[in-house]
Amino acid sequence: MKKYINILMATAALLSVGLASAAHADDAKPLAGQHLAVLLPPWGTLPKEMTDSFTAKTGIILDTQTLGWDDIHTKIVTSTVANTAPGDATEVDWSWVGQFGASKWYQPLDSLVSAEAVADVPTSKIFIYDGKLLAVPYNNDFRVLIYNKTQLSKAGINTPPTTPDELLKDAKAIKDAKIADYPIGLPLSATEGSSTAWYLLTKAFGGDLFDQDFKPLFTDPSSGGYKALAFEIRALKDGLIDPSMTGLKDVEVQELFKGGKISFDVAGWAGNLAVYADATKSQVSNDVAAALMPSTTGKPRTIGLPEAIGIPTAASNTKAAAAFINFWLEPETQIGSYKTLGNMPPRLSVLKQLNDQGSLKDGDVLLKQAAAVEPLFAQGTPGWYPEFSSAVAAAINQAAKGQLTVDQAVQQIADAAKTASQN
Amino acid sequence: MMSPSSQQRSRRRGGDFRLGLAFVIPVIIIMGGLVLFPLLSTMVDSVYRINPMRPGTPFAGLGNYIDLFQDPNVRQSWLNTIYYVVLAVILETVGGLAAALLLNKIKHGRRWLLAAVVLPWCLPPVVNAVVWLWIYNPSYGLLNHILQSVGLTSAPVVFFNNRYAALFLVTIVHVWRMMPLTAIILLASLQSIPQDLYQAAKLDGAGPIKSFRMITLPLIASGLAIALSQSTVFAFNLFDEAWILNGASLDTRTVIIQTYMYAFQNMKFSMGMALSLLAMLASLLISLLYVLKVYRETRFD
Repeated sequence: MKKYINILMATAALLSVGLASAAHADDAKPLAGQHLAVLLPPWGTLPKEMTDSFTAKTGIILDTQTLGWDDIHTKIVTSTVANTAPGDATEVDWSWVGQFGASKWYQPLDSLVSAEAVADVPTSKIFIYDGKLLAVPYNNDFRVLIYNKTQLSKAGINTPPTTPDELLKDAKAIKDAKIADYPIGLPLSATEGSSTAWYLLTKAFGGDLFDQDFKPLFTDPSSGGYKALAFEIRALKDGLIDPSMTGLKDVEVQELFKGGKISFDVAGWAGNLAVYADATKSQVSNDVAAALMPSTTGKPRTIGLPEAIGIPTAASNTKAAAAFINFWLEPETQIGSYKTLGNMPPRLSVLKQLNDQGSLKDGDVLLKQAAAVEPLFAQGTPGWYPEFSSAVAAAINQAAKGQLTVDQAVQQIADAAKTASQN
Repeated sequence: MMSPSSQQRSRRRGGDFRLGLAFVIPVIIIMGGLVLFPLLSTMVDSVYRINPMRPGTPFAGLGNYIDLFQDPNVRQSWLNTIYYVVLAVILETVGGLAAALLLNKIKHGRRWLLAAVVLPWCLPPVVNAVVWLWIYNPSYGLLNHILQSVGLTSAPVVFFNNRYAALFLVTIVHVWRMMPLTAIILLASLQSIPQDLYQAAKLDGAGPIKSFRMITLPLIASGLAIALSQSTVFAFNLFDEAWILNGASLDTRTVIIQTYMYAFQNMKFSMGMALSLLAMLASLLISLLYVLKVYRETRFD
């Protein structure tokens, strides 16, 4: 009998320990079992092992929807206008901050995310609207010159170009040596990638787009913006840029670089270095290298075009969404995202950690360029940016097709900026 | 006082009326909810300023419409759309009629041939456009390969660098997708023509061209009006092909792309609504012209 009593007591003890630990686990995972709808582009969609680790850590079940970048904007607009949330946590591009901030479509995150981690993300400032943090960056998309060092050395060039003129000279040497038909990769289609490349080159030529009052600074022939567009058209006319670039998006230009068809990815995404250096994804994995953006002023300027995650005002599961954003801020997540998706970590400490470990391809160059990152709009991205940017892309495309001169194109862009900012 | 039989008739009429109403109500609800109400709401909103980035929705009167007429991008997109409509309607009608006449002549294996003809229409427009994007690609596209193989060009041509070539190529993709529908509509009309009319015409000495002109064309006129109307409406609504093949480029931008950009890219919803209403009005007016003309010409009373 005593034996049975002992067994019963032991079972009861075990059960109580089990129940206590279960209760403790529930305390540690207050959001366990909740579903979180996430809407991100392909490069923001974490691989399964990483989302599994999020679920293991928080108990939250992720329903991830992957859409193209353009389509996400449309989905956010249509859903929100219909008073439904496009997701509990969604992509927020730097260029949408003005629109989503003015329309109050996204919740301020200041009290929901780790302030310490956000302080380690310099580009988070780009996502502040009216003093409130609207989204937290998950990648650190700044631009850098990416080149094929093997092709350069075959043409007798041992150092990457440091000025736009050197870039043209090197490209010509590569073309003359018949190493690449069209060495410079720059999108010229009527897409956002063409606009951002022009903004970058505007900085490279020492210019800025607008003054503090959003007055255009690119119509004067001596301005950076004017010279940048003239540079693009000259390179195209000299046969250094493929004429078919008038129909290619930036991601298609990147495919050409991966295939060894072009020598310079002029508006290269810093994070793409990891993808270019991956032999399973690129044919130039051993040839790729990064250099500071060429500049006419000696200062290698670049722009930060980060992407972030925000929580729509209509989201039904704010806490779980905040947990997801905090998960993205963890160093392990950012390192995993860099290694699998090529997202440059937005946290400076993580960037340094990767470089110290030797895991960052051309890390010294990237860190140096990262220190020179500027926001495109120092005053904050205006709500009319998408309209302006679309007009920029259309004008560049027309100029590249010979339908507009550089003079006419920059004037058309300036007129579009005026119209967009007034309406 | 009503007699029992008239009371019975009246009850029957009441019953018929209720039955008719029961049949019609679902259609009224669906059309009212999905067509009429959105249309009225769009018309009302188009005279206000609806922009979530700006506070309030003040009355704008015809201000949105005036802004549209002053926007050079809108003017360009109208010109492009008119080009698409004219070319697409001509090509679809001529090609669709030819295909329908051919299919009507074929006695064996017509259903297989019909299935093959219908295939492009069955494919989603995006898939169709992506396939043609590959065909037109300057680097590896089939079209360049063919042109170079037959010696018409010596180097790859970037077709979309020429505005008119780009407009034509986008139209071709749209025609490729929509022509089967025209062919089916016209085939149905052709099959409803009694064969003895042709035999009588033959006895009267009419040749194939005269028979076509005097019998076929008048008797397929109503089908032709439907085919023309649908071609016009779909050409006015052209979006996927131009967007996928050439993005937001002004060279090939349509009114519907411009509407999309106003509403969903720039968040100027009222401007988008105003432009979409104008596009709808234009396609309705042209379709009405076809229908009225055909109605006049096919009245035999």
